[in-house]
Amino acid sequence: METVDLARLQFALTAGAHFLFVALTLGLVTLVVAVQTWATITGSPVHERMTRFWGQLYIINYAMGIVTGLVMEFQLGLSWSGLTEYAGNLFGAALALETLVAFFVESTFLGLWIFGWNKLNRWAHLAVIWVVALTAYASAFWILVSNGFLQNPVGYVVDGDRLRMTDFGALVANPAAQVAFFHVLGGAMIVGGVFMAGVSAYHLRRRSREQDFFRKSLRIGIAVALPATLFTATFGGLGFQTLQPAKAAAWTRDVSGLAAAQAEMVAAHGPGDYLPPVAWVQAGGMTMMLAFAVLMFFYGGSFLLMLARPAAHGFRLWHWLLTATIPLPFVAMISGWIFREMGRQPWAVYGLLTTAEAMSPVTGGQVRFSLAAFVTVFAVLIVVNSWLLARAARRGPDAVALGDRPIDVPSPALTF
Amino acid sequence: MEIFILAFFTLGYLVLAGADIGVGMLLPYLGRSGGERREVIAAIAPFFLGNEVWLVATAGVLAGMFPELEAELLHGNYGPVVVLLVSWVVRDVGLWLRGRLPGERWRLCWDGAVVAGSWGLALSWGALLGHVLLGLSGPIAALPALVLSALFAVHGLAFATLRLRGELRRRAAVLSGGAGEARTYALTAGALMVIGVLAGTRLPLDAGPTASLLTPVILTLLPLLVAAQAWVWWTFRHRVTGPSYL
Repeated sequence: METVDLARLQFALTAGAHFLFVALTLGLVTLVVAVQTWATITGSPVHERMTRFWGQLYIINYAMGIVTGLVMEFQLGLSWSGLTEYAGNLFGAALALETLVAFFVESTFLGLWIFGWNKLNRWAHLAVIWVVALTAYASAFWILVSNGFLQNPVGYVVDGDRLRMTDFGALVANPAAQVAFFHVLGGAMIVGGVFMAGVSAYHLRRRSREQDFFRKSLRIGIAVALPATLFTATFGGLGFQTLQPAKAAAWTRDVSGLAAAQAEMVAAHGPGDYLPPVAWVQAGGMTMMLAFAVLMFFYGGSFLLMLARPAAHGFRLWHWLLTATIPLPFVAMISGWIFREMGRQPWAVYGLLTTAEAMSPVTGGQVRFSLAAFVTVFAVLIVVNSWLLARAARRGPDAVALGDRPIDVPSPALTF
Repeated sequence: MEIFILAFFTLGYLVLAGADIGVGMLLPYLGRSGGERREVIAAIAPFFLGNEVWLVATAGVLAGMFPELEAELLHGNYGPVVVLLVSWVVRDVGLWLRGRLPGERWRLCWDGAVVAGSWGLALSWGALLGHVLLGLSGPIAALPALVLSALFAVHGLAFATLRLRGELRRRAAVLSGGAGEARTYALTAGALMVIGVLAGTRLPLDAGPTASLLTPVILTLLPLLVAAQAWVWWTFRHRVTGPSYL
């Protein structure tokens, strides 16, 4: 592979992993906020335990979102400095706002939420998780503003060999960013809702003692997942209005549209291949649509079933299906992402800077070294972390350490 | 003003997260058993997320206000930066995962990750700053790497002395003698800041045009960010009395 393909693979693997973990983080934090708010207002013990159980799963998952996110942010400077130099004034500005307005506060308050359990006043503790959730949304918003700029550059002028911002408002109001933000946020709610429903169904199928706990969780999960599916599809539909001409033509296999997009780019930028990989765009789009259709019908039916208490407790085939559906929203998320990002190729900034031009002046050996290092570490960590997540989900609310007094006391110091 | 913002976050990272790195490096010395190590980690647990995020903010400031410097710094130091990132990931995951299963070997394995990751962070920071400050690369870069690692370690000891009690505190006070812990922490913090500032003077600090937009936003936010951090410091101002969630 050429160096640029290696660098793309490296970024795609990091960003793809990040996207999946963060989707569950965003979905779960919303559910945790809802449950903790209810627990704090009513003092309901079952909701207090739900907060701790779902909160612990949220935190186990959070770790992978952080570490992949760190590597992703630094990769922009490591291997894509052509992009940061060319579009740093717009793309970089949105990233800067993400770190300072959102992630800085999110990370600080997450520590306060985890370690401040039983230490902070309970209303203060609730306020802390609200701040964590809101800054997580803000983070997603600014990331999609920067991604939206790459998809549909606005608010700039070309100044010599780089871009200069002229209209910050246009950068923020970019439809490619706004629509994507709500689409991704809805997608994260599906991921979180389906996860909560699937884990709850697992325990109901196993005749857990915690019937009340998991029936309530099951209902919350389904009640969030179904409307979120419709919400996501609505913004997905709006997203099709903002597609670049080449991506739209690749999606509909419109041969003349592809030729027109190619001819327009050749006229503007000289000879070259300016079309996205049609097979990837098609496969991404089709998989996403299919996953959406299955989710909508299955969750439409599930919404009715969950209202009947006997079904909620005893319909084991349905419980099994609910658990088996947990991966489906992740499949939809990643294929939608492939559709969006592959469809932008060969451009890093659509119509302005190609992916090859966005590369840093680094050697193939350097990228091979970092690719091997990141892939090895992340592969191990993703396997371990997913296993831990599944284990904690299976063990149920009695095994939760979050918000508890730790069990093991340090052994007395040895003297020698 | 742009340079002040960049320096604020970079130096904040070196001083605050530098203590976490130092404690992680000396974890086998400070905690001799699994339970002791857990208590030592409780000294940094509530802070490490809020501390490492100063570097994320630094990267954000670089991307938005100094895009050319960011590019030059990162891909110009490709090897050390990749080692730094991998170490950072390994250290963090060690902290996150060590307490999630009860087994002794599980904890030993992730404690090992914390130690290896902390050393990797310290050494790659040393190599990076040695390159920026002195232009050193190749085998000779091991020298500044070791010097900076020693500084992180002493800084971590001082922080651990401030946070721990009893035998653990006595161990951490091996250099500061206990009474002078705050002074030692101030000294090592000062030394880290001096190194950071000196490295900064060797960099081409020319802010890009977006700086004029971002500077007022960031300056307005700054008191809020510091207040959020101060709330964490205030909440966990007492010495560690037992193991934490990690």
